[in-house]
This record gives sequence, C-alpha cells and structure tokens, in this order.
Amino acid sequence: MSPQSNAAIQNGEEPAILLDSINKSFGSVVAIENLSFHVNKGEIVSFLGRTGAGKSTALNLIMGNFGPTKGRVRVMGMDPNKDFKKLRQTISVGFQTDRLLPWRTTVENVELGLLILREPKAQAREKALEWLDRVNLTAAANLYPHELSGGMRQRASLARALAIDPEILLLDECFSQLDHVTSQTLRADVSEVIRKYNKTCLFITHRIDDAIEMADRILVLGAPARLLLEESPTEEDRTDRDKFRILHDKIAAALGVDA
Amino acid sequence: MKDYSMSTQETSVTPTGKSGPVLLRVFNQDRFAGLVVVALIILALQIASQFAPHYIAPPPVLIAEKLWTQLTSLWDEILITLLRLAIALAFAMLIGTILGIVMGMLPRIRPYVRSLVVIDTGIPALSWMLIAVFWFREPEIRIFFIMSVILVPFYALNVFDGIRSLPKEWLEMCESFRPNRWQVLRYLILPHIIAYVFSTTRSVIGYATRMVIFAELIASAVGIGAQMGLAQANFDIASVFAWTLFLVVLNIFSQFLVALLEKRVLRYRPEVEVR
Repeated sequence: MSPQSNAAIQNGEEPAILLDSINKSFGSVVAIENLSFHVNKGEIVSFLGRTGAGKSTALNLIMGNFGPTKGRVRVMGMDPNKDFKKLRQTISVGFQTDRLLPWRTTVENVELGLLILREPKAQAREKALEWLDRVNLTAAANLYPHELSGGMRQRASLARALAIDPEILLLDECFSQLDHVTSQTLRADVSEVIRKYNKTCLFITHRIDDAIEMADRILVLGAPARLLLEESPTEEDRTDRDKFRILHDKIAAALGVDA
Repeated sequence: MKDYSMSTQETSVTPTGKSGPVLLRVFNQDRFAGLVVVALIILALQIASQFAPHYIAPPPVLIAEKLWTQLTSLWDEILITLLRLAIALAFAMLIGTILGIVMGMLPRIRPYVRSLVVIDTGIPALSWMLIAVFWFREPEIRIFFIMSVILVPFYALNVFDGIRSLPKEWLEMCESFRPNRWQVLRYLILPHIIAYVFSTTRSVIGYATRMVIFAELIASAVGIGAQMGLAQANFDIASVFAWTLFLVVLNIFSQFLVALLEKRVLRYRPEVEVR
C-alpha cells in the first residue's frame, strides 16, 4: 500500500486539485496505481518522479484529456474530463517545449489563449503586450518564433499560459530544456508571479533542486505513479546548504528506492 | 507593474532569413542554364528546318511570326483558357481543401470520403473527358467538370496529409485552452495547411494547364486547345509549336507567381539552404 498525501486540506475548503484513489491503465500497462493527493488553492506543489513514473498521465488527468480507470479527479470541484468546457480559463499549461505556432509572431502566440476565450481582439493584444513586457520580450513582440532564442521562446510560452489569468497553472518540466542559469532565473520569476497573483501551481519536474527551490510541497512518485514521499521544504531548507543537501539526499534516496 | 517583471535579460535574436535575395539568387543561377537550353533548342529547330519540310520542322522565325499573330489576334482565346484554368483551380482548391479538412477532422466520415477520392484518382483523365462529353452539352460545364474531378483529389489528399502531419504538441497546446472545433480549425489547422495548399498548387499547375488544353481539344470550340486542334487539322505545325512555346512560358510564369506568393504568405518560415 503506497502512502497517501497527508497534507491538510485548507480550512476544509475544496482543494484546487484533488486526485482520490486514482488508478489509470492503458491496456495492460498500469500508469497510475492508487494515487491520492491534493493541491490547495494558492499552493505550489512539485511532482517529482523518474521518467515513466506517470507524471504526464497525472497531468493529462488533471487537464481532463482523459478520465481515470478508477477513482475521482476534481479540479475546482469539477470533473475535468466530463466538465471539460466548464474549466475554460481555469487551467493553463506551461509545456516542456515552447509549442509556439511558427506562423504567429510572439505577441500573436501570447494572445492565442485569450482569443480562444473570446476576448475582443484589441483587449487580447493589449494583455499580450503587457505579459510580454513582464517577461522582457517587448522588443521581440513582432518576431516569429524561429527568430527567438530558446530562453525567449520559453518565456513567450509561459507568458501565453499566464496571459489568460488562470486559477491553476500546470508546469510540465517547462524549464528542463533551458541552460542552468536561464532556467534558474526564469523559475524564480515564474514563482514570483505565481505567488504575487495567488495562483495554484502544480509543477512537474525531474530535477530535485528545482522542486526544493520552488515548491511549498514536494510529492515524490514511484513507477507506476504512486506516492513514495511527501515533503514540505521550509525557507531554511532552501537557504541553508546543509539542510538543502539533507532534503535533497532524502528525496534522491526515495527516487533511488524506486530504481 | 515592473516590480513583478521577469528579470531575465536576453536580447539575442537569431538572424532573419530574407526571402527576396534568395529567390533572385536561385533565378540567377538557373537563368544561364535555361538560356543555354533554349538557344540549343532554337538551333536544333533551325538545323532541322534546313533538311526537313516546314510542315514537319518549321524554322524558328516562322514559329515566332505565328506566336506574334496568336498573341495579337487570338488574345481572346488565350484569355478564355486562362479563365477556365483559374476558375477550375480555385474551385478545386476550395473543394479539395474542404474534403481534406473533412477527412482530417471527422474520423467517422473519413473512410467514405477517402475511398471516393482514391477511386477518383484511379480514373484516367481521358475517361472523365469522354464521360463529360456524354453527360454535358455545354462546353464550359464539360471543361469545368473535367478539370474539377481531376484536380480536387490532389488538394484533398495533400490537405489531409497536412492535417495528419500536424504536430500533436501543437494540438495539445491549443486544446489546453479548451477551444471548440471551429477555433481549432481557425487557429491551428487552417494556418498549418496553407503550406500544403501552396505546394499542391505548385505541383498541379503544369498538369492543370495540360489538362485544360486537352479538355478544350476534346470538348470545346474555343480556347488554346481548340486552336491547337484547328492547327493540327490544317497541317499548321508552326502554330502548334507557337502555342506550345506559349504554354511553356505560361507554365514557367505561373509557377514563378505561385512561388512568389508562397514566399510572401509563408514568410514566417526560416530559409534553409543545404550546402
């Protein structure tokens, strides 16, 4: 029996994301086995697991791209698969690769979500430009994706995800393609924006450092996806090198046990 | 608002590929070889005309005279052919694209539409021409029908291929905003398949020109094809050569125009040159 998330649900209020005793299989392949956890509103939770641990399957369940084989998924109290359209503007995703559309300029890519949400064109453009300013890409607004560097593309991609002002932001290893310095800076910036606007964030990563630095809570998954360890890093864990190392090793050991 | 700005300062921008000079460069490289080949053909015709009767190998000067006559006095025949070509291409582009989208976006209908299109591609152009003569009395309808049934499958299959090659990541990204089907079509599929519509047009324009001439020869009394039929009936091979020359130039020019338009519409694509 795998451990269950023991974090408290805030003030008894409905969590932003809830996975309750989830099983998910694709044919005979079990991707998720009895996984339960929740993410409170305004919380940043990091999902750590090795490749093939079912992190992306869990993300797809939360996005509502498919339903679980067994168990209950709730996003803001709704079933994301059955109430797919009702969760418009509630969830936004920062993907591992930037996924910018090559025929749209940077600003047109950022405004895409807003246009899909039927924001008037002028208003969508204004908001997109505001977000480009926040991610320091104003000068690149009218450039096409192939004219941008990797870091600029990923920032544009994050601006696109944030521009629709979602309540929940899902980040799927979206810093892993960047070099260490760019990744670190961008992660700190995104983290700042999430906290400033009180967004809920589920951050999928395979880098332990990223998880400790960014998350309020870390969930370590084994394969098939089941909870191996849950940790809540404190500010001290982040700033004190020894404590950081101890937590890092503990998580690494949990991941290693699974190996 | 600056207090929560993302602080990453990264201003490097990769160089933009400029489309104009590349086109010009390709044209310059090819122009010399093209001129050499044209000069050789003219020389061969001139030599052949010295030894063979003019109804078999007309001299280049006679062909040039015929071409001048055609351009000045038969411009209405040329215009009719060009109009037929343009209308049929535009119609085939529209219907073929719609069928391609139906195949790409409606899986339940796909097998039926696809079977229909595949069967159509297997029917020889000549069969369609003869069928059109039986079915329709009006020459314009005959030609329009022939051109449409021949060209539509090219667009339908290529657009369908385009939709199938749409990166799954783009679709997932788009769907993360929970769009309706119309929005997926508008923001993702239509812009993506434009490149496929252009490449199909570039591939079929020469074929379409040949088909419209053939259809005019079989099914109409006006147009370049009909004029070529008339020239053949009168043993006027110089006129046949002159019309052929005109059609070759027309084909090269139309390919160039489509390529130019394609460059402009698809300017977002980076220039890639293989060394």
